[in-house]
Amino acid sequence: MQIFPRSLNKLPLIAGAGAALALPAVVFLVWYYFSPWYTQVGYEPEQPVHYSHRLHAGQLGIDCRYCHANVERSAVAMVPPTQTCMNCHSVIKKDSNALKPIRDSWDTGKAMEWVKVHKVADYVYFDHSVHVSAGVGCIECHGRIDQMEVVRQQKPLSMGWCLQCHRDVKQNQGASQYLRPVSQVTNMEWQRTANEPVTPPRRLNPPENCTGCHR
Amino acid sequence: MSKREPYELASHDSDVGPQFWRSLEERAKRGDPELKQELARELAAEFPPGHTTTPASEESAMVGRRGFLTLSAAALALAGAEGCRRPLEKIVPYQKMPEQVIPGVPSHYATVFNRRGEALGLLVESHEGRPTKIEGNPSHPASMGAADLLTQASILDLYDMDRSIGARSQGFAKSVGEATGALKAALAKAGQGDKLRVLMQPTNSPSVLRMRKAIAERFPKSKVHSYAPVNESSMREGTRVAFGKPMQPLYAYDQANVIVSLDSDFLQTEAGSVRATKLFAARRRLRSPQDTMSRLYVIEPMLSVTGSNADHRFRVAASDVAGIAIALAAQLAQAHNVRVGDIVASAGKSAPPEAATWINAIAKDLASAGGRAIVVAGSRQPPVVHALAAAINDALGAVGRTVVYADVTDVDEKENAADIAELAQAIAAKQVDTLVIVGGNPAYDAPADLKLEGALAMVGASFHLSSHVDETSDKCTWHIPRAHEYEAWGDQRSFDGTISIQQPLVAPLHGGVSDLELLAVVANSPQTKAYDVVRESARSGWLVGKQYTDCAQTKPGEDECKDAAGGKIPVFARDWDKDWNKALRDGVLVKGNVGTAPRPAVNAAAITAAVMKRATTAPLGPENLEVTFAPCNKLFDGRHANNVWLLELPEPMTKIVWDNVALLHPRTAEKLGVASGDMVKLTQGERSITLPAWVFPGQAASSIGVTLGWGRRKGGRLAEGRGFDVYPLRSSTTMGFATGVKLSKTGETYKIGQTQENNSMEGRAISRDATFEEYKAQPTFADLQSPPPRSLPLWKDQDYSKGHQWGMSIDLNACTGCNACIIACQSENNVPSVGKIEVARGREMQWIRLDRYFVEDDRHGATVDDPAIAHLPLACVHCEEAPCENVCPVNATSHSPEGLNEMAYNRCIGTRYCANNCPYKVRRFNYLNWHNDAVWKKEGGLPETLQMQQNPNVSVRFRGVMEKCTYCVQRIQSVKINAKRENREIRDGEIVTACAQTCPADAIVFGDVNDPKTKVSELTMRDRRYALLAELGTKPRTTYLGKVRNPNPELTAKSGSAPAGGAAAPDHKEHG
Repeated sequence: MQIFPRSLNKLPLIAGAGAALALPAVVFLVWYYFSPWYTQVGYEPEQPVHYSHRLHAGQLGIDCRYCHANVERSAVAMVPPTQTCMNCHSVIKKDSNALKPIRDSWDTGKAMEWVKVHKVADYVYFDHSVHVSAGVGCIECHGRIDQMEVVRQQKPLSMGWCLQCHRDVKQNQGASQYLRPVSQVTNMEWQRTANEPVTPPRRLNPPENCTGCHR
Repeated sequence: MSKREPYELASHDSDVGPQFWRSLEERAKRGDPELKQELARELAAEFPPGHTTTPASEESAMVGRRGFLTLSAAALALAGAEGCRRPLEKIVPYQKMPEQVIPGVPSHYATVFNRRGEALGLLVESHEGRPTKIEGNPSHPASMGAADLLTQASILDLYDMDRSIGARSQGFAKSVGEATGALKAALAKAGQGDKLRVLMQPTNSPSVLRMRKAIAERFPKSKVHSYAPVNESSMREGTRVAFGKPMQPLYAYDQANVIVSLDSDFLQTEAGSVRATKLFAARRRLRSPQDTMSRLYVIEPMLSVTGSNADHRFRVAASDVAGIAIALAAQLAQAHNVRVGDIVASAGKSAPPEAATWINAIAKDLASAGGRAIVVAGSRQPPVVHALAAAINDALGAVGRTVVYADVTDVDEKENAADIAELAQAIAAKQVDTLVIVGGNPAYDAPADLKLEGALAMVGASFHLSSHVDETSDKCTWHIPRAHEYEAWGDQRSFDGTISIQQPLVAPLHGGVSDLELLAVVANSPQTKAYDVVRESARSGWLVGKQYTDCAQTKPGEDECKDAAGGKIPVFARDWDKDWNKALRDGVLVKGNVGTAPRPAVNAAAITAAVMKRATTAPLGPENLEVTFAPCNKLFDGRHANNVWLLELPEPMTKIVWDNVALLHPRTAEKLGVASGDMVKLTQGERSITLPAWVFPGQAASSIGVTLGWGRRKGGRLAEGRGFDVYPLRSSTTMGFATGVKLSKTGETYKIGQTQENNSMEGRAISRDATFEEYKAQPTFADLQSPPPRSLPLWKDQDYSKGHQWGMSIDLNACTGCNACIIACQSENNVPSVGKIEVARGREMQWIRLDRYFVEDDRHGATVDDPAIAHLPLACVHCEEAPCENVCPVNATSHSPEGLNEMAYNRCIGTRYCANNCPYKVRRFNYLNWHNDAVWKKEGGLPETLQMQQNPNVSVRFRGVMEKCTYCVQRIQSVKINAKRENREIRDGEIVTACAQTCPADAIVFGDVNDPKTKVSELTMRDRRYALLAELGTKPRTTYLGKVRNPNPELTAKSGSAPAGGAAAPDHKEHG
C-alpha cells in the first residue's frame, strides 16, 4: 500500500529549491530590515514647535552656527536656548500662535523640550568640534537640513557608517569625498569642482580604534 | 586541566635576602614547612572563596531557573510591544544661556578646602554647574597642584544622599527661616550675652574671626569656644611654651638631610600633609646615584603612613615619646655640643635603656646635618614634646633653613579640650541659656568625661548647624542644615599666610546655611549673605591689608562703589574689583610671605620648667596597657563617616574595609591571648569601649592603636552603626593616648573584611628595593632582579615606534602610600562601591590598588617584629603583549595604535577570561549592576544627587561587564581633540591622568614614551626602572622606579653585606 502519493516524489526537490531561495531571502530580510539604514533613517518626530529648517536655514540663509553656536568648540553642537529664538521673535511674528510655546518658555523660565532626532548610543562619545575643524560638512551626517520642513534622520549613524568615512579620510586625506574646506562646512550648496582635492587644515588621522569613540 | 604551577623566585623560597609578605598569616605559613603547602594552595587559588561563584547560602535569594524564564518571557513580551518604536529622548536646552558656559565643555573654578586647618587650594571641575571632580590648584602654595585622599573624597560628601534637607526642631521639620527666626528671638533676649555661648570648630577663616569680633562687640559677656576632636592644641601650647606665643611651624622637608618624627604623621593625617608630601618626595625622587637623599626616622606607637616611609622606624609607646625627646635633646647637648643643654640637663634618665643606641645614632646624625635637619612633633604628643622639638630645631640651626615659625591665624584659640570642658562646666552650672554650635559634632566627639551629650539637653535654646542630623542635632532644640564648603562663600588662610577665597561651585543643594551666615546672624552683621561678608572683609582691608579707597561703602550690606561726587564707578575701573576677580580666578587673594619671618627667641627656662613638670607614667605591661587615638586615615574624626568611597577604601596600612579595629603587636597579642577578630573590651577606670582586635606588626609593645570616627549613632545610613566608637574612652586629659588601660576578651569574634589577601600575585618579586649604598654600587638593582622573559612572543611584534605611545612611570621611592590616587580614580571614572561582604569575596571595584608589603630585610634592620613597609600602587599596566587581549572571545578588549589596552564595555559579554589571564590581577568585574535598581532598591534607584557626581565623559558600566584602568582615555581624547582643533602638537604634561594629577608625591607621571623629550621618557630611562613581571614578556607600559632606603649605617646590623639584586637573581647580571 502506498501511503505517500506519487506527487510527493517531487517534495525534496521543491523543498530544496525553496530552501535555496528562502536562505537568501532571510539573509536579505535581516540585511535590509535590521540595518540602521532601515531602522534609523527616516526618523522624523514631531517637535513641540513646528520649527522649519527649510525656512530659517534655507530661504532666510541663517548660518547653522547662529543657533548651534558651540559646534566649533564643544562635543555638542548645542540646541539653542529659548533666548536665541527670542532674539528675533521678540520683534518678528511676535504674536504668532505657532510660537506660543517659545514665548511661554521665555516668560515662565521653563526650558523647551525638543525631541532628539540624531541619536547615537550612550557609549558613543561623538565630538562635533573635531569633525567641523577637519572639514567634515554638516551635510555629511545630517543631510540637506536646509531643505527639511521637519528634521529627519538621513544617515544611519551606525559604527560601520562612521568607520567608512574615517578609513576613507585616513587614506585619501584631501581627496576624500567626505571632506570640504573648513570655510564651507555649513554651506549646504557646496560642490567640489572637477574632483579637485581640498587642502585639509592638518594631517588627518581619524581614529579607528575602540577608545576613539567609546570611553 | 590543572592550573600551571606558579614559579617562585629564589628570594621567596629561601630565607636569605629580603622577604616580602602581605600579612602575618602568610608570614606564619611561610615559616612552617607543613603550612607552606597550604600557603601555596591559597596563593594558587587566585581568587578568594565566593569570588566567582555565589555561596550556597545566598542562592535562595537569587532568581531560579523558573523565575528567570518567567522574567524573560515578560521582558520579551514587553520588548515586543515596545521594541518597534524608538524611545523618545528629549533635548532640554537652557532657557537663558548662562555666561561662560559651553555645554559639553567642563569649567574649572578655584576654591579652597579646609583640611585640618590648612587651606588647600583647589580647582574643581564643573559640568554645566555640577561639580564632579576635585583637583589641586598648581598656583596655590598649600596644595601645589595636588589634593589628598580626604579632599578627593569630599566631593561625595557634597552629594551625600543623607545630608540634612531642612531645619528641625524637637523632631519636627521646620523651615530654615523659622530656625533663624528662633535664633534671632533668643539672641534678642540675650542682653549682654552672659548666658550666650557659641561653640565652633577651630577656624582658619579671617571672616569668621571678624564675625567673632563682631559677636564680642554685640554681646560683650558672651563666650565663643573652639573645639575639634583632632586639633592643633598641643602644637600651639608647645610653641607657646617655647616662644611665648602660639606659632605655626612650616617645614621645608626638601631642604632637610635628616628628619626625625616624634610621633608625627606629617605625610598623611597631620595638618599641611599635602605640602609636606610634595616637599618630602622631592628629596626621595633620585635621578642618579649622585643625588642626595634625606633620611627619615620615625618614632611612633602606631604604624602611620609616615612611619611606613621611614628609613628607620622605632616602635615606641606614645607615653615614652616625651622621654625620648628629652633623651635626644640631652644626647645632643652632651655629645654634640648642641645648645639645648640648659633645658634638659636636669631631666635625668627618661628614655627606655634599650633605646639609647638609636637615640645616640639619631643625635649624631642630626648634629652632623649642619642645620639641614628637622625634628617634628605629632599632635597626639603633649605640648612639652612640641616645645622640645622647637628647642632642638632652634639649637641645630634649622630655624630659617628648614623650619620657619609663622604666625597662626587665630591667636585667641584656646586649648581645645580645656575650652570645651569650660563650656561643659558652664552648662552644668546652668550658666548657658542659648548655645549656638557652628559645625562639629560635640555630642559624639567631645571628651567622654565631660558627658556633654547629656548636658546639651539642659540648655534652653540650642542651635546646631550641621550637614547631617547627627548625634548633636538630636540633643539640640534646633537643627539647621549646613552648606557644604563647595556651596558656600568664605575665605581661608593657609599656614604660610596665603589668603584664598572659598568660591562656591553650586548653590546649596538643600538650602543650607553657611558658617559665616549663621555667625553673621549672631553678630547681627550688616551683611547677611556670606558673599557680602567676605567681600566686605576683603574691601575693608581685613584680609588684604589695604583699604580700597576707590570704593567707599555706601549702605551697610552693599559694596557698591561711588566716587567723591557720588557717581557710580563702573566695575571694570575699580582696583577693588580687579583684585577680587583676579583672586577668584587664581585662587589666591594674598600671597603668603613667611620666608622673611624673624627667628623667634626660645624661652629655655619655660621649656625646662615644662620638662620638669612632666608627669611620668608607670611602665607599660599586660595590666597597664596604653591606647593611642589616631584620626582615621579615611573618616578623619568622623566627619566623612557617611562617605561610601572612604568606607570602602582599604585602610592604607591594615587594608581593612568598612570597619575599624584595635591594633595590637603580635607579641602583645600573644601575651594577652588575643587573636585577630576577637572582640576585646578596653577599660580605663569607668570608661570602656568594645571593638575587634587586629594583630598587626607595626604596633608598639603594650600599646593598642585605635582610630576615631567610627561607630556613629546617627548621621547617615552608611555611617550609623558602622565600626566601633572609641570616643567613650577618650577623656579631656587623654586626648592623644591613655595609659592604665586593661584589656579583656568578650569571647565573641567579629568578621573583618580586608583586601590585602585579595588579588595575590603568586609570590613573585613585585616590589623591589635597595639601600642607598647598594644603589650607588649597583644603580640598576631593580631591573637586575627581573629574570629574562621565559616565553617567546606568540606572534609577530607590533610596531609601536610611531605616533604617540602612552606610558606611565611610578616612582616607588616617592610614593608614600597615601591612597589619594584610588579615590581620584574612583571619582573620575564612575567606579562603584560594592560593600563589605562583596569586598571580602574579592569583588572590590577600585581600579587602582595600593599593595602594602611587609619587608623583612637585615640590610636595614627590618625583622619580623619590626618589618619595613613597601607600597606598590598598581592599576592596569597596559601591556604591549597583553595576555587579556588574547583570550577575549568577542574582541572587547583590544590594543590601540597608541598602546592603550582598551575595553569596549558594550562588547563585553562577561566571560571573565581576561581577568583570569591577567597576571597583574587588575581587571574588575561588575558582578551586579552597582549603579542601578538592584543595589539601590531601597532608595528607588541610584539617588539623583549621586548621579550628579558622575563624570559624563565616562560610560557607566552595567552588570556583567569587565572594567579596568583606561589611562583616563577620556582625558587623552579631550586633549587630543583640543590639539587637533588648534592644529598643534600635544604638549608634554598636557594629558594628566586623575591619579597623576592628585598625587601629592608626584610619584605618578604619564606621557608619551615614544618622545624622548617627555618627562615620562626621562623617567623610564632612569637606572632604577623596572617592569613588573617582566619575565612574562608582557612588556607593560607602566614601569616602576625601584625603592631606595637610606638607613643609617650605624644602625644596620650587617650593613652592605648583601649586594643589591644579588639575592634575587645572581645569575642574570647581563640582563638589562
